[in-house]
Amino acid sequence: MKKVIYTCPYVSAEWIAAYGLKPCRIVPYSNGTNSGIIRTEGLCPYVRDFINNLNEKEECIAVFTTLCDQMRRGFDIVTSRLDTPAFLMNIPSTWQTIASQKLYLDELKRLGNFLVQSGGKTPSDETLAEGMLKYNKARKSILEMNDKLSALQYAQLLEQFGKNGPDEVGRMGFSPCCSSIPLAIVGSPLLKHDFEILEITELLGGRIVLNATENGERGLCSPFNKRKLKENLLMELADTYFNSIHDASRRPNSELYKWLKINLVEREVKGIIFHRNIWCDIWHAELQRLKDWIDLPVLDIESTGDNQSTNQNTINRIRAFLEMLS
Amino acid sequence: MNIEPKQISLEKWDEQYNKLRKAGLYEPSYGGRLSRHVEDGDMRLLKLKYDNSAAALRLWNFLLTEEDRLKNARDNCKKLIGTMKDLGTIPVMAYSFENTIAFYPDGAWWIPCVMELNAGLLEIADSLGIDESFCPVRAMLGAFATEAHFPIPDFLICSVGATCDDFSAIAQRLNGMGHPIFWWEMPHRRNPKSYEDKVILPGGFAAPKCQLEFVKSELERIKVALSEISGQEMNDEKLSAGIIKANQVRKYLSELRYLAFTAELCPLPALEMLIAEMLAIHFCSDIDETIEVLKDLLDEVKTRIKNNTGFFDRDAVKIFWVNPVADLQVMNLLEDCGGRICGTEYLFSHALDEIPENIPPLDALAQMALADPMAGSTIDRASRICNDIIKYGSEAVLISRIPGASHCALEGEIIGQVIRENFDIPVVEIEVPPITDAMKPTVRTRLEALVETVKARPQNKIHKRRTE
Repeated sequence: MKKVIYTCPYVSAEWIAAYGLKPCRIVPYSNGTNSGIIRTEGLCPYVRDFINNLNEKEECIAVFTTLCDQMRRGFDIVTSRLDTPAFLMNIPSTWQTIASQKLYLDELKRLGNFLVQSGGKTPSDETLAEGMLKYNKARKSILEMNDKLSALQYAQLLEQFGKNGPDEVGRMGFSPCCSSIPLAIVGSPLLKHDFEILEITELLGGRIVLNATENGERGLCSPFNKRKLKENLLMELADTYFNSIHDASRRPNSELYKWLKINLVEREVKGIIFHRNIWCDIWHAELQRLKDWIDLPVLDIESTGDNQSTNQNTINRIRAFLEMLS
Repeated sequence: MNIEPKQISLEKWDEQYNKLRKAGLYEPSYGGRLSRHVEDGDMRLLKLKYDNSAAALRLWNFLLTEEDRLKNARDNCKKLIGTMKDLGTIPVMAYSFENTIAFYPDGAWWIPCVMELNAGLLEIADSLGIDESFCPVRAMLGAFATEAHFPIPDFLICSVGATCDDFSAIAQRLNGMGHPIFWWEMPHRRNPKSYEDKVILPGGFAAPKCQLEFVKSELERIKVALSEISGQEMNDEKLSAGIIKANQVRKYLSELRYLAFTAELCPLPALEMLIAEMLAIHFCSDIDETIEVLKDLLDEVKTRIKNNTGFFDRDAVKIFWVNPVADLQVMNLLEDCGGRICGTEYLFSHALDEIPENIPPLDALAQMALADPMAGSTIDRASRICNDIIKYGSEAVLISRIPGASHCALEGEIIGQVIRENFDIPVVEIEVPPITDAMKPTVRTRLEALVETVKARPQNKIHKRRTE
């Protein structure tokens, strides 16, 4: 089955799967060499590694979105340098108008046309509904596992879900984290080697109870409304994805802060690790705003994407942060 | 008064001003010595070289008195509209109302250069969490915080979507500082599929009709909002009149660009051309005066061409310049190194193309907005640059990176690749911070190398498409 590779949370896995293709939401990784097709000063490592990873994959289809400017321009690089069929999905930044919501719906339909041209089959309502319910169930199971797993394991579970789909979710056995200081990690998506930050934090005595990075819990849509599923499947799919995933790139992005507030309070978070990829302007600009907004300590961790183990400076900063909180 | 074209310092401009006055110089209300602007803290002016014509004097004075015009407009109960990011479309709508003035707070990005960092705007941006990893447009935050460089607008409108992340993030930060913003969506312009209805936009890009309809609906929202803030109704007649006036600016600029870029001897230096082009985006807060300023410049250029006079050597290398520079002095530097500007893409080519007058005005404005070179793919933008290379006979391309700008990380590679596929001409990328003094030797070396490379090449290799 042909893989459709992407990273953006606003790309619906159910929609791709319904076309008989394999949705594969990856966590980009650096291969640690300079052999990638692109290594440019000023480029976010997440975008760079996603493009370089595409170059390493065998036959696949790539879906880019306009969620960030560099990813949008990364699409140009891929279409001009690789043979990989690629699609650029317009994700509106504004969300308060009917027109923006309709634009998202139209983009899903356009993605569907592209998938058909790439070998997919137009789905029946039954196929789509079945897939949506399956993903719904898997997401519910994942959310329930949050407090049963270490932060690293939880991130790996989310990665596996994105990469392999709902069938893999029940097959994992894990052990919970025993650390005591409840923390949230908020910000840019994590690269594969950034998962180490999660592990180190918990080894040093923190417990990440909320992974609010893009490839964490924040990147999961809410459950579908079963009543609405019966009325208009695609509308419900679009509505749920577009309105329940809260990103810093939204304008205004007030809903992100509402979502954070609910989750931070509910999980009794004592401190926030703010993760950002170097050159990610969207998240970098939120750092000071978050500090001004929340009455919790915030630790800024910048990821340079150089594929080295988390450096001693970062470890010391996390250690000091936890000492201060304990 | 017939004067030989020459680039002169600000100090020399005072002498020149006296001479022009004696010869009966016409001065608009904002006229006067250029040197007076240094007293406002515009220290960079002391280090620039200027065209010595009366038309250039008027241009500079017009540019440097915009703040006064905005204050005056407020005193006269006009509504000030801060338009952000779209570079050229919303001001055409705003100036169609009788009591609104639109300007781009984005323009604050030149304040650190013009005031040689003395305004402290970048430090304020730093303190707000927007550090040097962002584009110099972050100076806008400082300008809002100090309220010292322009009056705070009555209404802020910002385009988002297919825009650069720096600006979007900074605008959101501004919003978080208590400045309400009317956000509107600019979708990423894409090429239409064969089965879709399409529209050819001013400037030549194509887009699906559905995208045009979407942008039109966004502009309709803006029209309603502007009507509310101005207390006036807007109709097609008024909008059409606004478009006709904006087109007058564009017609003059189009002619000016063609003459300046293709004349055997350069009739107007790069710095004055840059500023003239910038007038297209919001008319420096006075559209009628913009038309007069450009007419003067055009007359001067025509006279110089007729008299076979101008600047630099006849063999000055014809450079196509991509992206505006944060430090204005670099435009002088290019000319010192033996180059001249023949072709530009300063991020707002869509503000230079004439707006269609034979279709409903909101459709025409939607077409213009969608034609923004930054809203589509960089490959499209590069294609447009290629067309202009042919049009203006450019011999080399210089891509000026804006420090920290999200689009600059990748676009240089793509633009360079497309140009090299089409032409056998050199392409060079340099980074220009707001003040280049510390790295001037490096920038100079690169510019000199570019000029020497072109001069060393056989003439028949220049600006011919590879396929020809």
